Amino acid sequence: MKIYSLVFVILIAFSGCAEKSYVKIVDSSVSRYIDIEDVKERVREDGLKEIQISGENETDEYILLRYRVTWKDKDGFDIPSISSNWTDLPIHKDAEFSINVIAPNEKAYDYQLFINKQGD
Amino acid sequence: MNKIKLISTTLILVMGLMSGCADKTQRIDIHHDTGDQVMGLDYRDFNQAAAEAVQSMLKSGALNKKGGDRYILAISRVTNDTMQHIDTDQLIKKIRIELLQSGKVVVTTAVGIDGAEDEMSSKARELRQNDEFNQRTVQKKGQLVAPDMSLSGKILQRNISMDDGKQQVEYYFMLSLTEIKTGLAWWEGETIIGKRGSGKSVAW
Repeated sequence: MKIYSLVFVILIAFSGCAEKSYVKIVDSSVSRYIDIEDVKERVREDGLKEIQISGENETDEYILLRYRVTWKDKDGFDIPSISSNWTDLPIHKDAEFSINVIAPNEKAYDYQLFINKQGD
Repeated sequence: MNKIKLISTTLILVMGLMSGCADKTQRIDIHHDTGDQVMGLDYRDFNQAAAEAVQSMLKSGALNKKGGDRYILAISRVTNDTMQHIDTDQLIKKIRIELLQSGKVVVTTAVGIDGAEDEMSSKARELRQNDEFNQRTVQKKGQLVAPDMSLSGKILQRNISMDDGKQQVEYYFMLSLTEIKTGLAWWEGETIIGKRGSGKSVAW
């Protein structure tokens, strides 16, 4: 599972060079506790992009992490949004978790989602 | 004479030392604030409550008008039922900005629960009878747009004394989005923020 997770993160990191959307675990120590298993995105009927990141807490301890999302338009310009502030991410022990975020408007095309420890 | 000199020199030294020890005012980095939590509500709490409300509203689809048009939103009464002197605009303004940027809503400032938020829409129409103004530049009748939706809510506080002498303060941010035509609430949201600290802390 850990190897799968590592490969996935590396793939995301490399794909980050080619694509402008990515998920990044800011502090490498967080990777010891959680696995990011899936990143989904879709454009809803109302034109807003929706992303969902799924993962698992493989430890037997409850963890409180946090995440934030920044959005860019097709030309790579930042779109200011309240979701660029850190949001708590509670993850129960031995449980799956998901982060579901909706784009601030129809122009939001690319996203960067950061997961980090509390207080860093 | 020597005694007076000694005392005054000591006083100057002590005062100098004390002024050097005084805490300097620091500006908060609101993008990376690692400061301790406070028992009262601060901007981090309002940010969290507003972000959760906006995400929930957008996800619900309650603001998706047929044909991709925008709803006209009026801000109704938002009650501060806490022990703190807070302006509920600290919450509502963030929500308004985000909803406006979503392209799904336009907020009217011409209609409000205690009168218009911006009275100029009405005041400017009083120029209709004023010969000093070019009447072609004065707004015609029937131009104002009535609201489709209304946003109302309440911020509630509960203080609970704990057995160990600590204090727990719970804040509830409760919001409703009502369709004015039918009076039905199409969306409702609640964010709870809880804090636990010294019983001596004051949460107002």
